[in-house]
Amino acid sequence: MTRYAMVIDMNTCVGCNACMAACSLENQTPVWSDQWRTYVHDRETASGRAVHRHFIPRLCNHCANPACMSVCPTGATYQTKDGVVLVDEELCMGCQACALACPYDARYPYTHDDIAEGKKFYGTLHRKSPSMDKCSFCNHRLEAGKPPACVQTCVGYARIFGDLDNPIDPVTELVRTHKAKPLMAHLGTRPNVYYIPER
Amino acid sequence: METMTFATQNLWTWWFALYLFLGGMGAAVIVVSFLSHMYLREEKELVMWGAISGTIMMVVGSGMLFLHLLNKWAAIYILTPWGIFHKPDSWIAWGSQFILWLQVAAILYALPYMVEKPRLLHWPLVGALLKMKFTRDVALVATRFQPFLAWVAVITGLGTAVYTGLLLQSFPAVTLWHNPAVPILFTVSAFSTAMAWLLIVMYLFIYHRVDHTIRALYERVDMCLITAELVIIYSFFNFTLSGSESGYRSAELLWGNPGWVLGFVVMGLMVPLAMEVKCVFGRWSGKVPIVTASLLVLSGGFLLRHFFMQAGVYAYPW
Repeated sequence: MTRYAMVIDMNTCVGCNACMAACSLENQTPVWSDQWRTYVHDRETASGRAVHRHFIPRLCNHCANPACMSVCPTGATYQTKDGVVLVDEELCMGCQACALACPYDARYPYTHDDIAEGKKFYGTLHRKSPSMDKCSFCNHRLEAGKPPACVQTCVGYARIFGDLDNPIDPVTELVRTHKAKPLMAHLGTRPNVYYIPER
Repeated sequence: METMTFATQNLWTWWFALYLFLGGMGAAVIVVSFLSHMYLREEKELVMWGAISGTIMMVVGSGMLFLHLLNKWAAIYILTPWGIFHKPDSWIAWGSQFILWLQVAAILYALPYMVEKPRLLHWPLVGALLKMKFTRDVALVATRFQPFLAWVAVITGLGTAVYTGLLLQSFPAVTLWHNPAVPILFTVSAFSTAMAWLLIVMYLFIYHRVDHTIRALYERVDMCLITAELVIIYSFFNFTLSGSESGYRSAELLWGNPGWVLGFVVMGLMVPLAMEVKCVFGRWSGKVPIVTASLLVLSGGFLLRHFFMQAGVYAYPW
C-alpha cells in the first residue's frame, strides 16, 4: 500500500512563494479572489532588538481521519486508497460545511464568478462547475509518477514528499524519529503533513 | 511554531443562523402541536397552525441554506432518500431527510382538518388546491394513517431540532461548537421558541378556539425550558473560561458583546422568564405580558444562534 505524506522543513523555507505560483498554475486556483491551495504565511517575531521572520507553508493536511469528509453530505469529499483527500466537483453542492470542519483553513469556495474569471485568466479552465476546492497533492501528477508541483518547484527543498508505508523513504524516517511533527494532533484528525520546527 | 492566529469564519453568517433558528423552531412547533393533539386535547386549530406555520418556517429556513449553495443542482443528492445510506456520518444528510419527511408528514397529518376549514378554502390557490378531488382523496387516506403520520412527524421533528446542534458539534477545531452541550442547548432553545410561537398564536389568533389549560401548560413548560437554557448557558460560560485558547477567545467575544449579554441573555432569557413567572403565579393577567415575553423569547432564539456562529474561534498555528 501507499500512504502519501509531506514533510515541510521550516528551516529551509525562504518564503519565495514559488510553491504558491506553481500550485496556482498547475491547479488553476482563483488567485484573483486571494484563494490558494497552498499559502505561505510570513510572520515576524521580536525578542529585544532581534527580529525573526518565520515562513509557515500551509496546505490541506490530507488527514487520515478527515473532519471535512465526515461532514460532507453528498460524499463529494472522499479519500483515495493512497490516503489523498479529494473533492468531486460534480457531487459537491457547496454547502461549505467542510470549510468550517477543517482545522487547517485549507478549503475555499470556487464560485460561478471565479469560473468566469478563471476562463479569462487561464484561457482554458479544466473546471466545469462551482464547488469547494482544496489541495489534492496534485493527484493527477502522482498518477503520472511525478511529485506535487509545489514540491518540484521548491528552491530550498523545504517540501519533501513521500510514502509513509515505505520504511526506507526519508519522509517515513523523519516522521518515525519525531523530527517532523503534525499540526494540532490533539484534534484527532491524523494529519499527513508534518513540519520540522525551526531550530 | 511560535505564532498563533485566531480567526472567526465568514462563510456561514446571519442567513445560516436563520436556517438553524427557523429549522429548529419549525420542527419543534410541529412536534409540540402534534403531541398536544394526541395526548392532551383534540384541538384542530392548533394542529393546523402548528403544521402550516412549522412547515413555512422550515421552508424559509431551508431556503436560506439552498440560496447559498454554490451548486444548487447537486442538492438533489441529499434530497433522495438513499442519501443517508450513502453518507450516514454526515449530519446535513440526516437533517435534510428529517426536514423533508417532517414537512410531508406534517401537511398530511393536518390535511383532513384543512379540507374542512372554510377560511382556508377561500384562500386563493390554497383553497383551489384543497377543493381538488385528489387532495380530498389524499386527506381521506391520511385520516386512516394519522397516528403513523404523527409519529413520523414527532421523530423527524425531534431529529431536526437535535440536528441543528449536532451539525455545529461536528466541527472539531472550534471549542465553542465541538462539545456535547451544543445539541442540548439548541434542542432546548428550539422547544422554548416553539412554545413561545404557539403561545403567540393561541393568544392572538385562536384565543377562544383553544382550551385554556393548553395555554397554561405551555407557559409552565416554557418557563422550565428558559430556566434550563440559562443553566446550560452558565455552564458554557464556565466551560469556555479555561481549557483552550479557542474557547477563551469565544468567551471574550460573547461576553464582551452587548448583543449577546443584553440582547440574548437579559432580554431573550431573563426578562421573559421573570414575566412568565409572574404570569404563571397569577400576578399578571391579560394577553400583553405573555405575548411580549414570547416575542422576546423568539428574538433571543435567533440571537443565540447568530452570536454562536459569530463567536466560533479557530486557533491556527501560524
